[in-house]
Amino acid sequence: MREGIYDVYEVFVQHNKTDHHVHVGSVLAPSPDLALHVARENFLRRDRAVSIWVVRREDIHATSYQDPDFFARETDKTYREVSGYTENGRLWRMFKQRMMNIEEVVEDMRGDDR
Amino acid sequence: MATSTLTLEEIREQILQDEQKAAFLARIERGEKIEATDWMPDEYRQLLIRLIHMHGISEVMGCYPEKEWVPKAPNLRRKLAIMAKVQDEVGHGQLLLRVAEDLAAPLNRTRDDLMADLFVSKVKFHNVFHMEARTWADAGLIGWLVDGAAICTQASLLDTSYAPYGRMLKRICAEESFHMQHGESICLALAQGTAKQRAMLQDALERWWEALMFFFGPPEMSEAAKKMLVYKIRTKTNEELRQKYLNRYVPRIQALGLKIPDPNLRYDETKQRWVYTEPDWDKFYRIVRDNQGPKSRERIELRRQAHEGNRWVREAMTRVRARMTG
Amino acid sequence: MTVQNAAEALQRPAYKAALVDLLYQLADDELFLGHRDSEWLGLAPDIEEDVAFSSIAQDEVGHAAYFYQLLSELGEGDADDLAYGRAAAVRRNARLVERPNGDWAYTIVRHLVYDVFEDVRLEALASSSYAPLAHGAVKIRREERYHLLHMETWFTRLGQAGGEARERLENAVAAIWPEIGDLFSLGAHAAVLVAEGILPIGREELVARWEARMKPLFEAAGLAWPGTPQLPAQDGRLGQHSADLVALLDTMGEVYRLEPAARW
Repeated sequence: MREGIYDVYEVFVQHNKTDHHVHVGSVLAPSPDLALHVARENFLRRDRAVSIWVVRREDIHATSYQDPDFFARETDKTYREVSGYTENGRLWRMFKQRMMNIEEVVEDMRGDDR
Repeated sequence: MATSTLTLEEIREQILQDEQKAAFLARIERGEKIEATDWMPDEYRQLLIRLIHMHGISEVMGCYPEKEWVPKAPNLRRKLAIMAKVQDEVGHGQLLLRVAEDLAAPLNRTRDDLMADLFVSKVKFHNVFHMEARTWADAGLIGWLVDGAAICTQASLLDTSYAPYGRMLKRICAEESFHMQHGESICLALAQGTAKQRAMLQDALERWWEALMFFFGPPEMSEAAKKMLVYKIRTKTNEELRQKYLNRYVPRIQALGLKIPDPNLRYDETKQRWVYTEPDWDKFYRIVRDNQGPKSRERIELRRQAHEGNRWVREAMTRVRARMTG
Repeated sequence: MTVQNAAEALQRPAYKAALVDLLYQLADDELFLGHRDSEWLGLAPDIEEDVAFSSIAQDEVGHAAYFYQLLSELGEGDADDLAYGRAAAVRRNARLVERPNGDWAYTIVRHLVYDVFEDVRLEALASSSYAPLAHGAVKIRREERYHLLHMETWFTRLGQAGGEARERLENAVAAIWPEIGDLFSLGAHAAVLVAEGILPIGREELVARWEARMKPLFEAAGLAWPGTPQLPAQDGRLGQHSADLVALLDTMGEVYRLEPAARW
């Protein structure tokens, strides 16, 4: 904390209550409250938001780009994905039914009854 | 700033001599993007810092010409718009300086250092911001044609190999869309206006044409600029950008009834390019390298006022923070 | 008893005259403060603050535009002409906002003093008998919240920092205090404004509410309270302005005056 040198605060913005906070960049500021103030105008002049988080850079923990194996997925994982169940479509047709997907169920549940 | 006799191929060959650099270049040529915490050759880091530091400082310096017209904007809507436009320039400076600061942090350099470099001529800023903004029409013209040129450059940089720069440029380009409209709106009003207004616009164009032709830099690029192309920090040459700009803007300038003050400017069908009177590149270097433009010293002084003159503020605010956290 | 719109107001000459005078006070206050604020572009103590402060400046000018528009609806003329074309002697702003910016401490103190006053005034105007003004006051007050928070933070921090910052703050307060009396003036139509509920509270109440909010801030900043603002020797709300305003108007209207009736 050198005199006259501000800290780096990473800025996260939440546009709507139904969205998570999203990282948008960083500001230099002398304190967390001023970081919030300046973040509002440096990042939200043309956007609506419901919340801003500022986090000092030192408080962020991150994976290393130098370690891509941290994210390695090399063996078949389709057992836990929709793409692993294309057979169902064929099987339902044998029972004279159509295969459903989650999207249409959600739409049905959220929509009006007709 | 000597131009380089080495070709892009020769520069690439030099890089490939070093095993680590060669592997790094291979990543870039595969289309991979580099992050702030990635290993990078010193020269790649230095090239980035140089470019982005200059870009960031240029944006901040870029607020000063139009700032002169903020107090004089002729109606409430223009007053608000030009305030917002100049604010954006400072904002773009903020975004880019953050990128440069993150690159310079391992070298123990802070914003303070990056800003102070301007006062000792260790960082340059764009030629256009050394020039006079003599009338309201200049303010409009800057928004239209100077920002227009900046948009060409920034759009071409969106594909940069350095990801943090690319991300910031996406945001900057989105904001530039308002600048385009703002500048064009002022110039359209002048072009459709009284004889005095039309004359003001023509006069501004005549005084700014040279600076606009300087904007993209000389056709013969420096060694550093060529290295930036090889490392895909940049993706277009100076002349490629200038040609695209002329293609886009010359017809529109002429459509407003304005006369471009270069009798040699025309599109050559045989060469398939715009030809023009060669700008005086020595004058360009005197402006950019030696800060000898008509407004260079005055504007550097404004920045010094802001930065040094207000040092007491930043020191006070950090002193308080230190007391708060003990 | 509410007056719903301009048409109704225009049928009541004394009401309208008082209302128009108050709207000029509001509009001219915001315009000149916003104009002064905008002079900080590129010159603020740090880049992030430069951006934030400019939004505050734009808000002020935007509020001025809103009030000039209400005046226009009352038949006063085109909003831009009202903003640009009126001479210093007919302006209704407080003298504080026409002063040059001084250093950052002066700017912060001036803005804080004004913003707290503005909040008190807008809070009262939320109950204005003139409906369009009441609605506008509520909206503008919400927007001003950020300004208030921002200035309170700067003021208290600079004071707590001690040293040069505290000294500059004290100098700013000393320079500003003799000048703030006419903020609280209601101008030539004061009696009608209060009686008709256009601005439901008078000078004394404005000062009292303002003081109640300012005193804790001075305490938090570690500054001595300078006392109740004195009645002004010169009243900006009566058109008594300084050479600073003449210079400001000269600059502001330079291009506007080039070509009367031109579209810019």
